[in-house]
Amino acid sequence: MSAEFETVIGLEVHCQLRTRTKLFSAADVSYGDAPNHHVTAVCLALPGALPVLNDAAVELAARAALVTHCKLHGLSVFARKNYFYPDLPKGYQISQYEEPLATGGWLEIDTPAGGARRIGITRIHMEEDAGKSLHEAGDPETQIDLNRAGVPLVEIVSEPDLRSPEEAGAYLRKLRQLLRWVEASDADMEKGQLRCDANVSLRPRGETRLGTRTEIKNLNSFRFVEAAIRAEVARQAEVLGGGGRIQQATLGFEPERGRLFVMRLKENADDYRYFPDPDLIPLRLSEERIEHIRAALPELPDERERRFSGELGLAAADARTLVASRALADWFESAARAHGNAKHVANWVLRDVLAALKERDAELEAVRLAPEGFAALLRLVDAGRVTARSARSLLGELLFAGGDPEALVRERGLEAVSDAGALEAAVEEVLAANAKAVASFAAGDAKSLNFLMGQVMRRTGGKADPARVRELLAERLARR
Amino acid sequence: MSEPLETVGELAARLAAGATSARALVERSFERLDALDPALHAFLFTRREAALAEADASDARRARGERRSPLDGIPVALKDNIVQAGEPASCASRILAGYVSPFDATVVARLRAAGAVIVGRTNLDEFAMGSSTENSCAGPTRNPWDPSRSPGGSSGGSAAAVAAGIVPAAFGSDTGGSIRQPAALCGVVGMKPTYGRVSRFGLIAFASSLDQIGPFARTAADCALLLEAIAGHDPHDSTSLPEPAPDFSRALTGDVSGLTLGVLREADDQSGMTPGVHARVSEAVAELERAGAKVREVSLPHTRFGIAAYYLIATAEASSNLARYDGVRYGRRAADGAGGITALYERTRAEGFGAEVKRRILLGTYVLSAGYYDAYYRKAQQVRTLLRRDFDAAFEACDAIVLPTTPEAAFRLGEKSSDPLALYLADVFTVSANLAGLPGVSIPCGLDAGLPVGFQILGRPLEDATVLRIADAYQRRTEHHLARPPR
Amino acid sequence: MSRISRAEVERIAHLARLRLEPAEADEARRRLEAILDYVAQLEAVDTRGVQATTSVIPLATPTRDDVPGELLAPEVAVANAPSARGSAFTVPRVLDDEAEG
Repeated sequence: MSAEFETVIGLEVHCQLRTRTKLFSAADVSYGDAPNHHVTAVCLALPGALPVLNDAAVELAARAALVTHCKLHGLSVFARKNYFYPDLPKGYQISQYEEPLATGGWLEIDTPAGGARRIGITRIHMEEDAGKSLHEAGDPETQIDLNRAGVPLVEIVSEPDLRSPEEAGAYLRKLRQLLRWVEASDADMEKGQLRCDANVSLRPRGETRLGTRTEIKNLNSFRFVEAAIRAEVARQAEVLGGGGRIQQATLGFEPERGRLFVMRLKENADDYRYFPDPDLIPLRLSEERIEHIRAALPELPDERERRFSGELGLAAADARTLVASRALADWFESAARAHGNAKHVANWVLRDVLAALKERDAELEAVRLAPEGFAALLRLVDAGRVTARSARSLLGELLFAGGDPEALVRERGLEAVSDAGALEAAVEEVLAANAKAVASFAAGDAKSLNFLMGQVMRRTGGKADPARVRELLAERLARR
Repeated sequence: MSEPLETVGELAARLAAGATSARALVERSFERLDALDPALHAFLFTRREAALAEADASDARRARGERRSPLDGIPVALKDNIVQAGEPASCASRILAGYVSPFDATVVARLRAAGAVIVGRTNLDEFAMGSSTENSCAGPTRNPWDPSRSPGGSSGGSAAAVAAGIVPAAFGSDTGGSIRQPAALCGVVGMKPTYGRVSRFGLIAFASSLDQIGPFARTAADCALLLEAIAGHDPHDSTSLPEPAPDFSRALTGDVSGLTLGVLREADDQSGMTPGVHARVSEAVAELERAGAKVREVSLPHTRFGIAAYYLIATAEASSNLARYDGVRYGRRAADGAGGITALYERTRAEGFGAEVKRRILLGTYVLSAGYYDAYYRKAQQVRTLLRRDFDAAFEACDAIVLPTTPEAAFRLGEKSSDPLALYLADVFTVSANLAGLPGVSIPCGLDAGLPVGFQILGRPLEDATVLRIADAYQRRTEHHLARPPR
Repeated sequence: MSRISRAEVERIAHLARLRLEPAEADEARRRLEAILDYVAQLEAVDTRGVQATTSVIPLATPTRDDVPGELLAPEVAVANAPSARGSAFTVPRVLDDEAEG
């Protein structure tokens, strides 16, 4: 993109809170069921129904605010956002407007250039989700399912601090990590638990005022968010570069074609007629409660990361990778403590465990092997009781099916050949059977050693410790 | 035709003594209903079979020596905006034609648990918006005292049903006077409890911060019994007060000595108050003074702004509360046509709502809309705060405030319909109690040219018992509540 | 100088999803104007520094525990619906540009 324009991006993220029931009704939150199988009179907005606030939603929303360094307000007010749509049963959404739950936070992202930037968070507020409209192709009707109507959401609004599609992606990933870390949300974009709208504008470099922005809605994967923003930035640059003006609009994105389309031109701002909901009492959060929630938060990723590199002596990049999720950080740390050598455990986790997860496209939550079990496996390797290679071959199975490493090694007959006598015998046999290689080595060809090693490994069925084999070979060859 | 039913208290005693049965009471209700209601039009729906069955069940309980409460076996009526499971709820609106509620209002659940027998659902101004019951899509209810006149509103049907002796008790809702004003115009007792005292869960909302369900009866003592059955915290209503309901009947000592009554100075400023109303109310105050209460003048300087504040706040809340009537999940939907869902909403609501409801929705929408919110809605809520402060100050000087309920007695049907403000202005004495959330009761205090006059007693928040005590003390010393419509 | 124009009445009517015939719109405008004239008296009240009442009740926030309660059976949920298909409500097909506002 031309250097004359700066990209300005703000993201509005809606995130479903991980509660059992809805925000204002006791209907349970469910995903994928038949229409209207999880509704009460309140969800349907039947005449006479009234909302009652779910305490767990308050707790989780507060965690989301604290983990993004926001100021949690002791008083926040639920307000009605009035508009008509078939999936909005009351004809208004209960949200928060002038007095939201939290304001003034930030989170830190790694920039593509390699550095860190703080992205401001303007506000976080609570609101209820709408139901779903289902259109089938060719159907003259739309079906309305209110199972999702009333599910608790937090809306997290960033300052327009993001400067590139990549930063937007980094911000979303970080946000997702944090929300999952404190169990405020599962934040699975595919399940619609995390939704993102992007506000995009350009301005001449050096200009401080914001340009006219467009809003891209219904982005449901990190990749699409980046791709859509990229496409819109390019489009705006072309318009502005040609001397044109940007028209305010709401856009959608077709991922298959990588194309934006206009959903709605916005000539006038929508008039939602917000006012404090008279069916609800303002939300009062005492200092005590806020402190209680704060104290109950687990050690946050940044602190964990610092501790991993400080206390446990891990390299910065490794520490960063290990805090990608709390499940991973917890699992690693338990394994490290059980084993004793954090760096050693870290190497194995970063290389082998993550590879196994990636292969299955799984998250750490899918792992059934207890961290202590993993530590035990590593100790077997350390003690030479099984080769690293054998251990790796068992890792996938152990991780996802669980089990006792030692028992499995025995069961598969993978105990390393470390018995000195058996090993020496194997080495002698190989040397005896490969006189040519022995001679080459004596003549100065170091590669023959590798060949001989390979032969010993084969003879021992890969169960010998390579380091020991190399040692023995070298010793014997030297004697000859 | 049988005599009009006596008070709840008397009937409960007769039931307990075996002098009558619940079935007999319910049959008598229906006898009077059949005879009077075709002309009166107090009822929109009745549930004869179910009521008789419930009466029989009540009698069976009594035979076993079990009585659920003093209301066990007593026939009552509900305003058709208080939902009952399995029964229609129309709010006297076309847009809810055919709607059957799948759940009970908390008040209804409590009444049924108390053994009360609901005989039918009464007429109202559509969605409780009005003061004459002329805004009902089913046509008005007539005042039992004079069929050419309005019974008041919006709970006109419930007031008339009690005044005509069809039921000894009925329930209505009061947002700006909709229980107290029809009570005054029909010569019965009507009470609006402290805001939050009675659950609104199942009350079809008009203005959420002002609405309360309350009882109609012939006496304050009856109202105490009825209030006991329905009052108290409800976890389904976030605006419901946590305090459990006290024993209101126990508070009816008959003694008002030691109480100071405040007489509202600004009541005299009201032009439009007839001399007859003024006289009856003054006499009532004098009676209470004779009974031992002290009387002094109090001022609520912002009284005259009450109507304006009320109509801005109530219509704003109503415009939002009535957005759910869109024909999607229940109620009447317009026929399909061009223009997609937006046009369908517009036609559905245009066809389904009456003129007054539409006007109030428009006003409320305007009041909340961008650019006007601060000048209208916020301003009104600020004035509301000032009015509450007026009351706080006044209640430093007195324990209860007495004032007229309405400026005049029952007006003729059709008399007020053309002037948009005329009816609104008549609410001047009642809206303040809703704006401040105070308990208030209207009691008959005589006639003006043959038509009932009521006076109001307003109390501090949660002093419903005090208000009833004063009303009951008055009724022990007078007989105005015994007056019956000519018939 | 009228307080509210015919165009505003139409804008409000659209926001409220109320179709008004021209005669109705005129009548509505007149009545609204009368009421707005009346409520204008509030402008005279000094409300500087006065909190707007958001709730008459000085309560701690009532909440409920995160425990599932009784649901409406799906047949009951759609029992009052003017139009339903199975357990879903149906409306004429909604176009995207009808969303919101």
